[in-house]
Amino acid sequence: MSAVEDTIKDIVVKIVHCDREVLKPEATFQDMKADSLDMVQVLVALEDEFGIEIPDEDAQKFKNFGDFVGYVEAKVAEKKGNA
Amino acid sequence: MLRGKVALVTGSSRGIGRAIALKLAKEGADVIINYFRQREAAEQTANEIEKLGVASKVIRANVGDPEKISEMFDIIASSFGRLDILVNNAASGLPRSALDLDMKAWAWTMDINARALLLCTQGAVKLMEGRGGKIVAVSSLGSSLVLPGYIAIGVSKATLEALTRYLAIELASKDICVNTVAASLVPTETGLLYARGGRPGAAAPLPTTPAGRMVSAEDIANVVTFLCCEEAFMIRGQTIIVDGGTSLAPFSLMNKGEAP
Repeated sequence: MSAVEDTIKDIVVKIVHCDREVLKPEATFQDMKADSLDMVQVLVALEDEFGIEIPDEDAQKFKNFGDFVGYVEAKVAEKKGNA
Repeated sequence: MLRGKVALVTGSSRGIGRAIALKLAKEGADVIINYFRQREAAEQTANEIEKLGVASKVIRANVGDPEKISEMFDIIASSFGRLDILVNNAASGLPRSALDLDMKAWAWTMDINARALLLCTQGAVKLMEGRGGKIVAVSSLGSSLVLPGYIAIGVSKATLEALTRYLAIELASKDICVNTVAASLVPTETGLLYARGGRPGAAAPLPTTPAGRMVSAEDIANVVTFLCCEEAFMIRGQTIIVDGGTSLAPFSLMNKGEAP
């Protein structure tokens, strides 16, 4: 597991109050029992943590946790590349 | 009319907040755009404001978070050194019934819609001391009328209006005027989403008003701007309703032609 994925899990568990074991790549946001308020808070926490931006339009496209992690990892890598 | 004044409009990347920000800028004020999720829209609004020949600045802050509010006022203090106008416009909330309303959704809505007025006022007054200022909040008819799925927002708006009265009296001796403008449904992106029951793009008949059309964001901006002018100096702690007469004539909430 990447360090980014580990941090995402920490943040999701803290905000959504779900079990860490639920956070498998195929898990949907319904599996995580995350509502739209949880999602906004998760997005903002990740933006602050990694210094990236996750527009709502992009966030609406995530089908499952794996998509979400892949997206954030790509954004973090892109930011490092620009730094 | 407002040349040389510095204004902060919370939640002004789009919708009613954006219209207020543009109107204040047209009247000559430098305008700080606060946003939470819509950076591009916020920057676009700031660009339009700068084209009007006044200064603008974009500050991201979730006004539901006291720390972020504090950071926002620190930035305003260091960038402008003063504030003359605070427009407390940012709002959020989920369409829920009372029985589906959990503590999280309740706290989210109350923190952003109501507590932010208190905390932003505390921040603003420090930057208004000695010169006076204007504070205007934006409310809705849901503070007194019962609208479907609107319980948390409606109650938060009622709190906002009560806060307006208390703040107006406490700050009156500092020459700070505090008032609220309450609107009926305005066809902004968010307003339309509400009218469609939270389903983007769903067909929904839009209500008209006795005045023959819906209230526009510019209608709200005009009244907010008036309350920011010296001519409104003796209006204190009031909620000015801008609804084309809707709240006085409940049948007008229905689509034209369908009212019995």
